[in-house]
Amino acid sequence: MVKYLTRRLASAILLLFLLTIVVYLIFGILPVDPARISCGIHCNPIAVAGNRHRLGLDVPLYEQWWRFFVGIFAGRTYGDGAARFTCGAPSLGYSFPNNECVTTAIAHAFPFTLSLAVGAFILWMASGIGLGVIAARYRGSFIDRGVTAFVLVGSSLPVFVVGLLVYILAFFLHAIDPISQGIWVSPLSDPIGFFKNFIFAWIALALSYSAIYTRLTRGNVIETSSEDFIRTARAKGLSERRILFKHNLRTALAPLLTNAGLDFGGLLGGAIITETIFQLPGLGEISLKAVLQDYDLPLIVGTTVVAGAFIIIFNLIVDIGYAYLDPRVRVG
Amino acid sequence: MAFKNLFSRQKRVVASVAIMALATSGLIAISSSADAASKTGGTLYFITQSKQLNRLDPARIYTGQDIAFMNTYVYRSLLSYTPTTGDAGFNLVPDLATDIGKATDGGKTWSWTLKSGIKWQDGSVVTCADEKYGLSRVFATDVITDGPSYLLQDLNIPSDAKGNLMYQGPYKKTGQEYFDKAVTCSGMTITLHLNKAVGDFNYFGTYPAMSPVKQSADNGAKYDSAPWALGPYKVADYKIGTELKLVRNPQYQQSTDTIRTAYPDQIIMRFGISEDIRDQIFLKDSQTNAVDYDQNLQPANKVAFFANKATASRGINVVGPYTGYYALNVSAGHLDCLAARKALFFALNDDALIKLAGGTQFYGTIGDNPISPLVSTDYAPTTGNIHDANFKLTGNPSYAKTLLAQAKTQCPATYSKITTANKGVVWDISNTTTNQKAATLIKTALNAAGIQVTFKFIESGVYYPTVQDATKEDDVASGGWAADWANASTVIPPLFLQHGGFDLNLNWNDPTYKPFAAQVAAAQGETSRTKQAGEWKVLAQFVMDQYWTIAPVFQKEQNFWGSKVGGAAFWMPQGCLLFPSLYVIQ
Repeated sequence: MVKYLTRRLASAILLLFLLTIVVYLIFGILPVDPARISCGIHCNPIAVAGNRHRLGLDVPLYEQWWRFFVGIFAGRTYGDGAARFTCGAPSLGYSFPNNECVTTAIAHAFPFTLSLAVGAFILWMASGIGLGVIAARYRGSFIDRGVTAFVLVGSSLPVFVVGLLVYILAFFLHAIDPISQGIWVSPLSDPIGFFKNFIFAWIALALSYSAIYTRLTRGNVIETSSEDFIRTARAKGLSERRILFKHNLRTALAPLLTNAGLDFGGLLGGAIITETIFQLPGLGEISLKAVLQDYDLPLIVGTTVVAGAFIIIFNLIVDIGYAYLDPRVRVG
Repeated sequence: MAFKNLFSRQKRVVASVAIMALATSGLIAISSSADAASKTGGTLYFITQSKQLNRLDPARIYTGQDIAFMNTYVYRSLLSYTPTTGDAGFNLVPDLATDIGKATDGGKTWSWTLKSGIKWQDGSVVTCADEKYGLSRVFATDVITDGPSYLLQDLNIPSDAKGNLMYQGPYKKTGQEYFDKAVTCSGMTITLHLNKAVGDFNYFGTYPAMSPVKQSADNGAKYDSAPWALGPYKVADYKIGTELKLVRNPQYQQSTDTIRTAYPDQIIMRFGISEDIRDQIFLKDSQTNAVDYDQNLQPANKVAFFANKATASRGINVVGPYTGYYALNVSAGHLDCLAARKALFFALNDDALIKLAGGTQFYGTIGDNPISPLVSTDYAPTTGNIHDANFKLTGNPSYAKTLLAQAKTQCPATYSKITTANKGVVWDISNTTTNQKAATLIKTALNAAGIQVTFKFIESGVYYPTVQDATKEDDVASGGWAADWANASTVIPPLFLQHGGFDLNLNWNDPTYKPFAAQVAAAQGETSRTKQAGEWKVLAQFVMDQYWTIAPVFQKEQNFWGSKVGGAAFWMPQGCLLFPSLYVIQ
């Protein structure tokens, strides 16, 4: 197991390293000149050149990447003279439109994204598994047909439709206050305020995931029901409840772990649509602004690397979890 | 859109004298103490769909409403516009300074004496050195971007052989001796030596770029996040995408200030409110202590708002300072042919475009001049263009075809370009829902005249950086501009001179440019305001005759607020609400 872990960890680190190169190259070759864009309205060639130096874009692309990479471990200094300042390690660059270190911007945004992802995850896992099990247990019944209808509607409605509907409904019912919505409230100091900030976003985001997980759970439970070991358990006279919770679910839910891990990891990179609709300044929202409004290259690179890192890390966690549950995986 | 701006209907000298009297009497917009007590307190909200203010750094801020907002609540500059409605608002009043400025040497030297005892938010006293340092930052153009460039253009600082200023700001200190010579302090009096006579230079004293900055607090680009306060409020929190929170500045002394009322206890600007929600807030009055900082609602909601008497009392609809226009790129290979440019103008269906944007009720009226009529000293109706007998507001394709026929013989290459299907006029347009509809209207009108057009949709966040890049601008770009103050010297040079800052015409290789530029320079140096006004009128006519700019629209603007917001009125010179008078009804 230790050997397997070491191997997977090494490949994850290599992937992260390659990710920084690929992301930097992709954005480096875009036909956009950040030095010109952030130069202001009275731009002239001197100002563009000065800006290019200040942004660290006056060196070859590979050197820009190298400075970026070193900055992750050693921090990075920008500007000259009295205007000189440093972004401490781990530095992912400096956002000039926002006038803050990218790491700081991400640190401000991450609590929103994490809260959104965790809340929605709990909601969709609980509802998805619960409904899936009920539908499987009462297969073919009125309840099953109702759940199937929910799956159909939930998985076919795009999140921007659900999100807007939930937001507008909540607004008209005075259940959401756009003035305080999106202001960070700690769950420790004000749990009710925190809950009010996120509840509708959780519902909107969880709805489509919940539908998918309901379908997966239902299918897996039904499929597992026909396995030999379930028949054996039934032949031994175990109650249906015991068979379901003790034997069936343990097997049926294992494949869901992969999906759940990857979906959760992806969400930690930012749920752009949900964050935007619900005015939650998380990673997705700041990334969108960086792309559409500012062409803020350092922030785009920073958030992309962080989002990629979460996916790689959760892939690793899922792999390790699987290896723990199924020793055959470790050999491969 | 361009950058905000100020103008006056009155002659400068008259305004100055009038305001001196008012300032002395201490009557300016300051209520009685009993009245003030009833208005004091509460939180005043500003709501916007934007994710942030463009800038907070006083040297970098250049959009009019932002200037008025920050000058009212956080900064204090040398001068201010009078905080009152109507034309009286155009008059200058001293703020940090003791008077509105003294000009000597025929307008080449300007000096102001600062009031004593005004304190920074840390309790230290503002000095002349702080004022001088604040001005010096503008020259660090690699760090201090976006602000107005009047100090760069007008201070008497030499340039090198390549035309670059020899002073590069306080961070590098290169050429510091030149700045120290151009700007001097004697006690609390600061003196600016200009490279030419600028008779109305004191109007620039209303800009935050003319406010002091304490050197020890300056952290370069980062100063944009939390500038130090001299005004009644200081920045408590600024999170892009979320909010800007201003709380009372305990070091602020109302006794030194004849401009601000500082009624609310707290001011919060909420960013990122979606258009739909913002509109509902003001239609339903669901946030009673809020002001719409976007100065806008969606067209249908705007109509509904003003159609209902109950809501209409919480809004104003006025002629604003901005002139919108299409700038034609007259450089070689683009629209370098007068007949072709005229054909484009006469083919357009201006009526449909104006209706699309809100009609004459809310958007504006077709104009005949890049100078707004509100700059009344310098504005005069031009001849030709919309006054031409062949002009039709809905477009005149048959006359446009006649002009195209002229273009065919006078400039066959340009004619071929704009009439060939796979080439045509390339129109740079910002990618918004309204503009996508506008593109269809433009295409229909131009095609009817035999002109082909393709649109390059550019994301709004990078629209101006793109079209301001001479290597990237195509044939047509949209612009919007308002005078910085009551002089067309803040309109014609920035819009039509090569280094003016916002020349989208790329006209410097046009055969008519050299005599035009010489005439502009002469107008700028003219010390007689009457003669100068005459010269601006001639130059505006020239610009319109050359069709460098077509279809200007003198724009209207709207403001909205909640039922618990008191003191809402229009501050004409700033083109926004009269912030100093706003309060929360208790």
